[in-house]
Amino acid sequence: MIYRVQLENFEGPLDLLLYLIKKNEVDLFNIPISEITRQYLEYIEIIQMLDLEGASDFILMAATLIRIKAKMLLPKPPVEMDEEEEEDPRDELVRRLLEYQRFKEVALKMADFESQRQLLYTRRYFNQQVELEPHDWWDPQNSYTLFDLMWAFKEILQRAPKVTQHNVEQIPVTIDDQINYILKQLDQNEGQLLFYELLEKLKKRIIMIVTFLSLLELIRRGEVEVTQSSTFGEIWVRRKRWTSLN
Amino acid sequence: MDVSQLKPVVEAIIFASDGPVTPRMLKNYIEEANGVDFEQVIEALNHDYHNSGRAIQIVKVAGGYQMTTRPEFAAWIKKMYMGRTSNRLSRAALETLAIIAFKQPISKAEVAAIRGVNSDGVIKNLLERRLITISGRGEGLGRPLLYSTTPEFLQYFGINDISDLPKPREIEELFGEGKYVDQIIEALSSGDASEDESQEDSHQDANQQSDA
Repeated sequence: MIYRVQLENFEGPLDLLLYLIKKNEVDLFNIPISEITRQYLEYIEIIQMLDLEGASDFILMAATLIRIKAKMLLPKPPVEMDEEEEEDPRDELVRRLLEYQRFKEVALKMADFESQRQLLYTRRYFNQQVELEPHDWWDPQNSYTLFDLMWAFKEILQRAPKVTQHNVEQIPVTIDDQINYILKQLDQNEGQLLFYELLEKLKKRIIMIVTFLSLLELIRRGEVEVTQSSTFGEIWVRRKRWTSLN
Repeated sequence: MDVSQLKPVVEAIIFASDGPVTPRMLKNYIEEANGVDFEQVIEALNHDYHNSGRAIQIVKVAGGYQMTTRPEFAAWIKKMYMGRTSNRLSRAALETLAIIAFKQPISKAEVAAIRGVNSDGVIKNLLERRLITISGRGEGLGRPLLYSTTPEFLQYFGINDISDLPKPREIEELFGEGKYVDQIIEALSSGDASEDESQEDSHQDANQQSDA
């Protein structure tokens, strides 16, 4: 059994540094690097024991802190006449801390917006299965994203029969084959088909994958377009030049 | 049709819709409403609801109008929905959303650089909750995917437009003229998650002073 101990909840190395700077009441523009680094290392020693994966981000920052300290200790090369004043090695870190701090503040205010909004209830649990009129689905108000398409593809793959043994074999289809297959299927169905109908008849995952790639290729060529009638609704695949062929 | 005739029509559409209805949609649905300012119709409806002590209101969100219950009834509705309401976003999710909202379109790597931690998992969750979406590819090395916020993001936070979000204070503002180091430290400390009222006040004071 693994015990997970929640320490002070830091979102990352910058968050921890801001905390240490505040706790020690030091000047952000004159950070005592060695002292802050010492405390920082103490902390990551603890998280390393608890959460090795999460610790890696913190270790990178520890290395950065030590590098800054080393830079500050090294004798500076003599400044030439025209040269600008040398940058403090800590400046880059301060800039990052300030930028992170800005977004941390915004995130806090957004949490307020969130809780205000959660007091307002809208009507919901609408039935998602809205009847689709096959020729009436194109609505510019709706938009789909590549993410929707990938999501739908993942669902179809999950529906496909699972194969437990694995034989190495030549893939029996090519992108070109499947492009022809898609176009043929579309032509047989008045130029449009539901995305799942297109892939459902294919029994092998690899053929589904090749067909999906072929669909992406057809979209890229502009021969086919894809649209979704509602959020989480069905995705239609449509032959772009179908109507002009009639 | 004038405002009083339009009121019930607009009310019916907004009631029956499962999402915010934009003025443009209303214009499409109600052909008789040529040139009417829907803002006026909504105001009149809200006025009616208020005067007759109704529990509903119409709010402007994500560029459209949506019917909601009034906040003072949340306690009871919450009981009805017990266990079915969505969880609040984590601090990591809020931070990531704040960065994406102001820097969009932005890549995963840029988000991680600002937060100082790997943000892949958070971004995946936000995508699944549809608060962000993939909006393109960057020009940089490996042409990374870029992320932007969605209309669902606006709805989730109950805002009409991205510009309604609190603005991040400019770095220059945080720096002041280089003399206000104490104020900056103060401002930094007030940003802590465990802040209380008095710290919040001093933070605002610091803001006003640097403005002056």
